[in-house]
Amino acid sequence: MLKIIVPTAMLMPMTWLSKPNMIWINSTTYSLLISLISLSYLNQLGDNSLNLSLLFFSDSLSAPLLVLTTWLLPLMLMASQSHLSKETLSRKKLYITMLIILQLLLIMTFTATELIMFYILFEATLIPTLIIITRWGNQTERLNAGLYFLFYTLMGSLPLLVALLYIQNTTGTLNFLVIQYWAKPISATWSNIFLWLACMMAFMVKMPLYGLHLWLPKAHVEAPIAGSMVLAAVLLKLGGYGMMRITILLNPATNQMAYPFMMLSLWGMVMTSSICLRQTDLKSLIAYSSVSHMALVIVAVLIQTPWSYMGATALMIAHGLTSSMLFCLANSNYERVHSRTMILARGLQTILPLMAAWWLLASLANLALPPTINLIGELFVVVASFSWSNMTIVLMGTNIIITALYTLYMLTTTQRGKYTHHIKNINPSFTRENALMALHLLPLLLLSLNPKIVLG
Amino acid sequence: MKPPIFITIMLTVISGTMIVMTTSHWLMVWIGFEMNLLAVIPILMKKYNPRATEAATKYFLTQATASMLLMMGIIINLLHSGQWTVSKDLNPMASIMMTIALAMKLGLAPFHFWVPEVTQGISMSSGLILLTWQKIAPLSILYQISPTINPSLLLTMAIMSVMVGGWGGLNQTQLRKIMAYSSIAHMGWMAAIMMYSPTMMILNLTIYIIMTLTTFMLFMHNSTTTTSSLSQTWNKTPLITSFILVLMMSLGGLPPLSGFIPKWMIIQGLTKNEMIMMPTLLAMTALLNLYFYMRLTYTTALTMFPSNNCMKMKWRFECTEKTTFLPPLIVMSTMLLPLAPMLSILD
Repeated sequence: MLKIIVPTAMLMPMTWLSKPNMIWINSTTYSLLISLISLSYLNQLGDNSLNLSLLFFSDSLSAPLLVLTTWLLPLMLMASQSHLSKETLSRKKLYITMLIILQLLLIMTFTATELIMFYILFEATLIPTLIIITRWGNQTERLNAGLYFLFYTLMGSLPLLVALLYIQNTTGTLNFLVIQYWAKPISATWSNIFLWLACMMAFMVKMPLYGLHLWLPKAHVEAPIAGSMVLAAVLLKLGGYGMMRITILLNPATNQMAYPFMMLSLWGMVMTSSICLRQTDLKSLIAYSSVSHMALVIVAVLIQTPWSYMGATALMIAHGLTSSMLFCLANSNYERVHSRTMILARGLQTILPLMAAWWLLASLANLALPPTINLIGELFVVVASFSWSNMTIVLMGTNIIITALYTLYMLTTTQRGKYTHHIKNINPSFTRENALMALHLLPLLLLSLNPKIVLG
Repeated sequence: MKPPIFITIMLTVISGTMIVMTTSHWLMVWIGFEMNLLAVIPILMKKYNPRATEAATKYFLTQATASMLLMMGIIINLLHSGQWTVSKDLNPMASIMMTIALAMKLGLAPFHFWVPEVTQGISMSSGLILLTWQKIAPLSILYQISPTINPSLLLTMAIMSVMVGGWGGLNQTQLRKIMAYSSIAHMGWMAAIMMYSPTMMILNLTIYIIMTLTTFMLFMHNSTTTTSSLSQTWNKTPLITSFILVLMMSLGGLPPLSGFIPKWMIIQGLTKNEMIMMPTLLAMTALLNLYFYMRLTYTTALTMFPSNNCMKMKWRFECTEKTTFLPPLIVMSTMLLPLAPMLSILD
């Protein structure tokens, strides 16, 4: 694992020592190379995990997430070039350094063995994200957004620290490989209920669960493009990954405890999708759609069947790529019109046809068109939840329909129809933007050819 | 003040604390505290204005009362055990009196009322000495009598201190008052672990002193005393803006910075001793502390030019205070977490 961690850490000195006209080129190229190294971890053996050292390991759950994280860094750097072009050199370098630090912490989080180390790095990812959102966001609401983000996450995760230390005292270790075999079954007594809540609330806030999702629209909307990309694609998946790891310790109390959260997720799924139909702000629409997709992942993790875990993993990877791509598309609109209101930039298909093609493909992926892995993920989750309880299929089906509705609404509002008269003189699409969309979409399409890699 | 006088006074302060820390006779403990108190009064009044006089008077009155309470505890101990040796087996009544007296000296709630006002009335460098050096002597005595302290008293004081430190600091804009409430909250954390593992208390004290020292030095370097004047830091010394950012997060106890080490170790110590709700409560109220530290970082580092900053520009004076050791202190305040496995040598 050091062969990924050390090069990522060394990206920082490289950024600070590069010539001014080479900083973007250097960092993007070398981060692409690092992501190619991480692809080797996808080659998992049997059903055992690659135990690489005492501190780091990777198994078939963390390997796809690791690849997603490392793949996103060059994409984030490419997306940030235009809005940072007017900043001074040292601020550009500082921004890139923040992204690299965040990448480093995320890589270590996804491959941590010991749960306390996972916790420390999980919290540590908050600091660079906070700095990116608050310092480089565009509107005054970003201050509030940063505070909401930080405090929601910290409120949930401080009980997690206490719970992890308690588990360490009772079970003797928190090393993930060992604790799979030593975990004692816990029943649903009152104190165990609090333990379950303490363990799960941190990840529920991060996912986010419907009742605790208030930080997400604020943070996504106010963040600059790289911040939105990394928030949507990776930081939400941290919650899902953590939930999957920690539910091993919490059986069989999960059977009773899961009910309120299942209900919140199922209902919240439908609610947030419906809100998307009435959004005027493009980024806010994509943010709420993130909540809706993640609610599916919560349902899948709480059911705890093999199929649902496979579906959750596939859905996380698929949503990461799709959501990040949608944010990039929204950002390309924002850079031209400097407003996020959807109806201000209509009819783009006549003016930017290639971008319209990317919009179409991204929207089709978002509404889970076969044979993308979005569909595979959603289908596995729907089938697993149907076997858990027959009634859930009503809500799941409603959600799929409403997802299709708002995605097509977003597509037709921005692309079809007559263009507004004030957008005639916008810049044409840059090659960088087209390359960005292609690099997002290509893994998604290639994975539909071999989804076994991400099925965990 | 003139150098020879200053040296004499400093030496008295230092030797007062040293006497308290190293002696084994209870009377010498009291003498050390009095030496410390009397010599620190001129330091508090370095800038001669009525505010400083008022602050020094308040400090003197509270600390003298605390010393008298301490003396009463010592005499009760003498009455019941017949000897003056500082040892672990104290009479419970004497232990309670001494704990209350030392809590008054430290500024633990509900005896915390003097801390913000005294810290605000004096200059930054005196405030530095007040909040860091003056904590060492009382905590060393508490360390020595820790097996006999009444647990409920101590835990009540700890929880109240963390809450007062959190809520009290929320409405402040003066930096010295913010640091005073931060000190109250940190003392609460130290008191919480005192019964189970006094070594962790010393660890918390060490890291707290390092971080507070660094914070005060950065503020003195900038010669700022209010939050709004901190917002000019990007203009005067841009490097300090990032330092203040990281330092405030470290004070708030965010991983992966050093401020997280004491909180982690204290929560671990408390959960090992079967107390679950209390560390959760302590951790949640520490989030209040984090809120006003975040406010400081917002004005300093995260809302820089060319975004909105409604503050008139200030004259850029050269820094006149001595800020030696600032780089190593900054490194120690923020990057000590990877050394945390070394704490296993404490067991």
